[in-house]
Amino acid sequence: MIGITSYLVFFLCVVLVLSVLTLGLNLQWGFTGLFNAGVAGFYAIGGYTHAILTAAPQPQYLGNFGLPWIVGIAGAMALTALAALLIGLLTIRLRGDFLAIATFGIAILIQLVTLNLEPLTGGSQGLTRIAKPMSSVFTTPLAYNIFYLVLLIGVVALVYWALGRILASPWGRVLRAIREDETAAIALGKSALRFRLESFVLGSTLMGLAGALYVSFIGFVSPFDFLPILTFQVWAMLIVGGSGNNRGALLGTLVVWGIWAASGVTVSKLVPPSHAAQGAAIQVILIGLVLVLMLLYRPRGLIGERPMVSRHLDG
Amino acid sequence: MSHPVSRALGALALAAGALLALPAHAQAPSCPVKLGGILPLTGSMAPITKKIAQAAELGIEHINQGGGIKGCPVQFILRDDQGQPTVGVDAAKFLVEVERVAAFTGTISSGVTGPIITSVTAPSKVVQVTCCSTASSFTADGRGGGYFFRTIPTSKTQAYATASETARRSFKKTAIIYVNTDFGTDMLRFYRAASAKLGGDIAVEVAYNDNQPSYRAEVTRALAAKPESLLLIGFPKDAVTIVREWLSMGGPNKVALNNSMRTLDFVNGVGARFVEDFFGMDNAQVAGPHVDAFNQAFEKKWNADSKGPGVHTQYDAVMVLGLAMNIAKDLTGPSIREAIRRVHTPGGTLIGTGPAEFKKAVELIKAGRPIKYTGATGPIEFDANGDVTGPALVWKITGGKIETDRIISIEDMQSLQKRVEN
Repeated sequence: MIGITSYLVFFLCVVLVLSVLTLGLNLQWGFTGLFNAGVAGFYAIGGYTHAILTAAPQPQYLGNFGLPWIVGIAGAMALTALAALLIGLLTIRLRGDFLAIATFGIAILIQLVTLNLEPLTGGSQGLTRIAKPMSSVFTTPLAYNIFYLVLLIGVVALVYWALGRILASPWGRVLRAIREDETAAIALGKSALRFRLESFVLGSTLMGLAGALYVSFIGFVSPFDFLPILTFQVWAMLIVGGSGNNRGALLGTLVVWGIWAASGVTVSKLVPPSHAAQGAAIQVILIGLVLVLMLLYRPRGLIGERPMVSRHLDG
Repeated sequence: MSHPVSRALGALALAAGALLALPAHAQAPSCPVKLGGILPLTGSMAPITKKIAQAAELGIEHINQGGGIKGCPVQFILRDDQGQPTVGVDAAKFLVEVERVAAFTGTISSGVTGPIITSVTAPSKVVQVTCCSTASSFTADGRGGGYFFRTIPTSKTQAYATASETARRSFKKTAIIYVNTDFGTDMLRFYRAASAKLGGDIAVEVAYNDNQPSYRAEVTRALAAKPESLLLIGFPKDAVTIVREWLSMGGPNKVALNNSMRTLDFVNGVGARFVEDFFGMDNAQVAGPHVDAFNQAFEKKWNADSKGPGVHTQYDAVMVLGLAMNIAKDLTGPSIREAIRRVHTPGGTLIGTGPAEFKKAVELIKAGRPIKYTGATGPIEFDANGDVTGPALVWKITGGKIETDRIISIEDMQSLQKRVEN
């Protein structure tokens, strides 16, 4: 049982890290209607900032300051926020698909920068010796992963609670108003542009936080962690779970990543290694099939947004 | 996080539990002995992975026919990493914690191998032997805690050999187009160092990113430096595009390649008559009866030739694990790690490839006698970091076929290394 527990703890850690990403995207897409296709880019900024700030010094790299873990987390969020602000100022006027294309391009650009800015990022060799918080206290892998799981539960609970609060506030109502009808929101005297930008920066900052949490969990970062497929996965998680609902975002992350992991296990159980190549292809088909079926039968996601006209009419 | 989430969580845990309960022997420490494998069976590496997986499978078969591990048959559990770090790490964690594999082999892309080392195998003290990840930093900075080994020489061997060969063929004003991965940058760095010592000159260095539809921009940049020759470091699919564009834009047809292009897919992809006399390097395919034995066994089993990157090194990775696990006093990580050093003991009895040789080795180990494994890539002797050194091979394309041009022996490689690094 220890083995299974140990694996499940590890699995849940990955789910929680990814769910911070999904929550960030839900703020942008689910509540504000911003089509951000550059999730992996902000995730990368957070991850690399954390790595560069906290990794043990090495002579061949400019960064690697060996700073404490919490400085890495704060720095990652601050820098991602700054980057999101700059990118947002340039792109936030773009609507729908145009914003998607722009952010997708920017994410690829960021990934290529991490690949090529070798003195800072280690290029394709990646950076290692990244601070793992409290690793001197929790020395076995299982104890450490349980500690990290508790830490992540705390972080996700905090993010979930804070998002719930601000989305219930007037600020959150304006976001939904913009999503539903931007012209009407402007007619009511709201600066749609400012709210869109705020939502974009806040959501991206969460993605940066997720990047830092991922990197400090794994202890290694390389540009291959931030390929565009990741953006696709996070989108799948949000759509499957139900965009516009934070609980849906969390559930979607669990379900989609669960499918990803479980399909690999199933295939390796059923298919002999001599046919592993074909089995692996079946796994990819299986993932696609489950996603398509979900969308056919639960088009609004597993837990969609609760339709609400007004709190006062809600009974 | 109220009911739906926690309910779903419970359901998933149940489902996972049910799935895991399938093999009743999951906790049993004895037979069969489980050996894990992770390879990118799907994704951009899939075309070369098929043969690598087949080589691993052949190794397992030989171990089983030769008596298994400590009298137990070996069960090989192969998982796909899809070329994605998170997927590979998840699979590795599952193999180590749930399947309780005694050791494992994998994977190809260094971007996946890296996080597996730091988050799974090194903390859990599980021996990992890769056939194909060449990033020099993995063994150099001690992150593997001594549990990480590779049967492929790092890019250094290949880069030095390439530099000596281009110097021998008097390459001047060489343009280098290299893939921007750890492999490409390592190759470039070591080639640059060696070529400075051995008398070559580099006209321009152009990085490219893999899987693009066209490399016209990169080729144009390389040609702008008016080079007289080309060194192309990359992967076969991209290399086809690059070489076609290079030749069609009037680049000189004095071209050196790396090991990945040693496949007919590349030759036929460009067109055999355009790549006549192109040459390249590969690792350590010493000739000899054990290499032939492996090649024949592979051809017989899979009805395909054994040429291709990673095929021989993967077989050796599996065989080294099989031998080391027989030598180890028990099947824990530290014991296997220690035993790997004794797979190639100087003065031991020579052990080659194939089931009969494995059987011989098992008997010798039982009798407490030392063995000296010489596998499909030659003598497998790990240095302090877990790296192997080996001879290099120069291959060339003649009449649409890939032929071995000459072998640079281990002794020559060692003296070459001294000349470069003195």
